[in-house]
Amino acid sequence: MRPILPIALAVTLALALVAPATAQAPPTWKQGQPAEMADSTLAPIAQPPAPKAPGEIPVDKIKVPRGFKVSLWAHGINNARVMTWGDKGTLFVSSRVAGNVYAVVDKGGQREVKTIAKGLNLPNGVAFKDGTLYVAEVSRITKMVGIEDKLDDPPAMEVVYDILPRDLPHGWKYLAFGPDGKLYFNIGAPCNICVPPDTHANISRVNPDGTGFEYVAHGVRNSVGFDWHPASKALYFTTHGRDWLGDDLPSDRFDVVSKKGQHFGFPFCHQGDVLDPEFGKGRSCREFVRPLIKTGPHVAGNGVEFYTGSMFPAEYKNRAFLAQRGSWNRTKKSGFRVMMVTLQRGGAPKYEVFAEGWLQGEEIWGRPVYTRQMKDGSLLISDDYAGAIYRVSYQP
Amino acid sequence: MATAIGAPAADLEAGRRKSEPCAACHGREGNATIPGTPSLAGQPAFFTHWQLIKYRDGRRKDAQMSPFAQSLTDADMADLAAYYEAQRPRPRPNAATADPAKVAAGRQLADLHHCTSCHRPGLTGQQQAARLAGQDHDYLLRLLRGFKARTASDLDGTMTMAAQPLREEDIESLVHFMATLGAEP
Repeated sequence: MRPILPIALAVTLALALVAPATAQAPPTWKQGQPAEMADSTLAPIAQPPAPKAPGEIPVDKIKVPRGFKVSLWAHGINNARVMTWGDKGTLFVSSRVAGNVYAVVDKGGQREVKTIAKGLNLPNGVAFKDGTLYVAEVSRITKMVGIEDKLDDPPAMEVVYDILPRDLPHGWKYLAFGPDGKLYFNIGAPCNICVPPDTHANISRVNPDGTGFEYVAHGVRNSVGFDWHPASKALYFTTHGRDWLGDDLPSDRFDVVSKKGQHFGFPFCHQGDVLDPEFGKGRSCREFVRPLIKTGPHVAGNGVEFYTGSMFPAEYKNRAFLAQRGSWNRTKKSGFRVMMVTLQRGGAPKYEVFAEGWLQGEEIWGRPVYTRQMKDGSLLISDDYAGAIYRVSYQP
Repeated sequence: MATAIGAPAADLEAGRRKSEPCAACHGREGNATIPGTPSLAGQPAFFTHWQLIKYRDGRRKDAQMSPFAQSLTDADMADLAAYYEAQRPRPRPNAATADPAKVAAGRQLADLHHCTSCHRPGLTGQQQAARLAGQDHDYLLRLLRGFKARTASDLDGTMTMAAQPLREEDIESLVHFMATLGAEP
């Protein structure tokens, strides 16, 4: 006993001295993982480094309602994410880890893809107004004036606003012009689960000249998709829920902002009715806004878009399309589909599948991430995993 | 990890042919011998491919690699990445100069800092996360110091964040450990 104890004590002391200085949080995706899940093999799905060739994209596996048709509209767009239209018919497409912004030009039925910016810091957000393309990276918003006339010689990216947090976890942004002409974007929680600084976990807005920054919604873990209702002009958004609470908790959510400054619960209350096991102590879910729809656990809802076209049947008018990129933190995969929401006056919204098939059994070949309506009323769906854009059309 | 259906079919033989100019620095079959130059043998294809993309788009910079990557097509990158993944990694001669005390400290630090969460047990790498076991000492040191200084290119910020709490002596210990890992007979 005698020789062992001092050694054990010395080791304990050494660890006690060393550990506080060197122990650190695990990578963000693993942060918040409870001890009993330490052996879990769940991990984020790696983004392939290159887009798939057309022959490797099984478009016929995408199932849509009767009368609808899906075709491969564009390919070879590495990590294709948000789509936004230029005034002259150019489709601007963002990426995330690929660091690029693309312009897709329709040349007599063939789509030509040009890279107009590269080497950017997770440039997920793109929005277009009055001849100018706005790009949101992690900590700044920039603009390219008159870009559509200079696709082969893009103008310099001028800074609009560059004092946003530099945190990379949930640092990439969705960017869109609201009906008030302001630029809206998310500032995500810099963690899986934590009490974020007051500056994080929100949806914010700023004037297109960089003035007038303000918070619109709080307690939003990470919203990378939103749109405004065509009639009510209210802001609707998706949010990714926290990880490592198990396969079925918490649900991701689809929400509406009814008043500026509302709090949607993160990190205290998830899905409107589940207190966080750690951060929910002493709180009540009644303090926070409840979701309009619980969209499902780990589905990773990204794109939100209200349908305003006239190609689809009349009942599609003002329905919201929700693109769900799909789960990683779930033993049985969920999401990997495009849902649609029909808001009902005085009743619960209808929430049903519009397009699915990127997930076959437990294997995936693509991840639908955003939608964008075309001028003719058809719907484009981007897929960041396959590096492709699909077009959904309707013919009765 | 997800299995991809219909992932691009890279051409190993084309990769071998295209790797001939790389051998001058990265060695035969991607086993480099020049100190400071990384071995590519056994690196996950996603990792090598992403690095080549980053050299081409300017996010990662190197006097030799940047101009070289400019001439590569996506297919070249896929072929090269697949070729190097299929090669058997030979440990670098780091063991001879490794400090056993630093190796032991590095082994503990690798646990404390969750290196295996992404780089796998044994630090053999996976997907976009590099193989570190048996990699060149000087190269690992340069990269890890770069991540700490926030100047090394990072795909999504994970490595830059992971390196922030590391002290210089921690970096040295980790590198001694990683560089000698898998080198035991």
